[in-house]
Amino acid sequence: MTGTRTVAAAIADALDAYETLAGIGESIDDEWTYVTDLCEAWRSRLEEIAATRDSEILEPTIDGAIDRAIDEIGRISDPHRAIDWLSTFPQVVLVALGDGA
Amino acid sequence: MRFQDAARDGRAVVYAGIQADPLVARAAASLADASTAQRVLARAVMNGESTDPDAWRAMFPSLFGRGADPATIEQSEAILAAALEVAERGEQVRSQFRGAIVEELTARLLARRVGAPAVRRERRILFDGVHAEIHPYDVTVERDGAAEAWDCKWGARGINADVLHQLDDARTHAADEDGSLRVGLVVFDAERSCAVRLDRQTAPAGATRLIALETLDDLARTNP
Repeated sequence: MTGTRTVAAAIADALDAYETLAGIGESIDDEWTYVTDLCEAWRSRLEEIAATRDSEILEPTIDGAIDRAIDEIGRISDPHRAIDWLSTFPQVVLVALGDGA
Repeated sequence: MRFQDAARDGRAVVYAGIQADPLVARAAASLADASTAQRVLARAVMNGESTDPDAWRAMFPSLFGRGADPATIEQSEAILAAALEVAERGEQVRSQFRGAIVEELTARLLARRVGAPAVRRERRILFDGVHAEIHPYDVTVERDGAAEAWDCKWGARGINADVLHQLDDARTHAADEDGSLRVGLVVFDAERSCAVRLDRQTAPAGATRLIALETLDDLARTNP
């Protein structure tokens, strides 16, 4: 059985959600620069995977895992937890994609 | 250079109770033999919003799915159960548990290399003619000629100037006494995130070893 979303499409969705999470984390003024740099570092990593694996179709379980991770960060409203997840979320996505963290 | 137990103030007494909680030992034991993916799972769950185990199983198909071998599934279930127990505590308590788990995990991995008797917790390091730091080191290795001091952090955000200065000062003071003290930070977070955090620091960090989530097993190896 195969899914319908490509790696590039799943990462695009993940990055959209990541952007929203970054907005929550950025509300901590003292950490604004760190949040910005952190997001840039992880965005680059995910975009690298998207470029390499581009049109590869995801297995349904992996497709679902990424959606589940997106759902998880959508529940976060606390900015401190958001900053922690700005590091954790990309690792979860990379583990799901089998690309290590 | 001498090691000394930290003062038992009110905070230390409360924290000692958390360190002694069987959940801390159970979580650390399961994480000591875990893969990087399983450690990412623990980090996510212990800092997550969801407490439904099926949600986490779905998020990590390589650990719980049909393709995973039975041993991996069994170990991942143990990690998930312990991590959920931590997550289900209140925000402040879960934060203390997470810290205690990283320290216990560090101590267990170091003990594989140097033997448990040499590994100590919550110790201050005293140097002749130097005002002692108030804050103890989370984990120390106390051996003649090969001492080590480690500070443990849940996330990269815990890396700050104070901790970098304290570690580097200790290393420098030991060298001033013709002693040797290796210092390092153990951070239960991705190396990439730690690197971003360190880049922003001006405190001395060049001689401070960084152990991140992906390299935790280096603590148990000969030259971490």
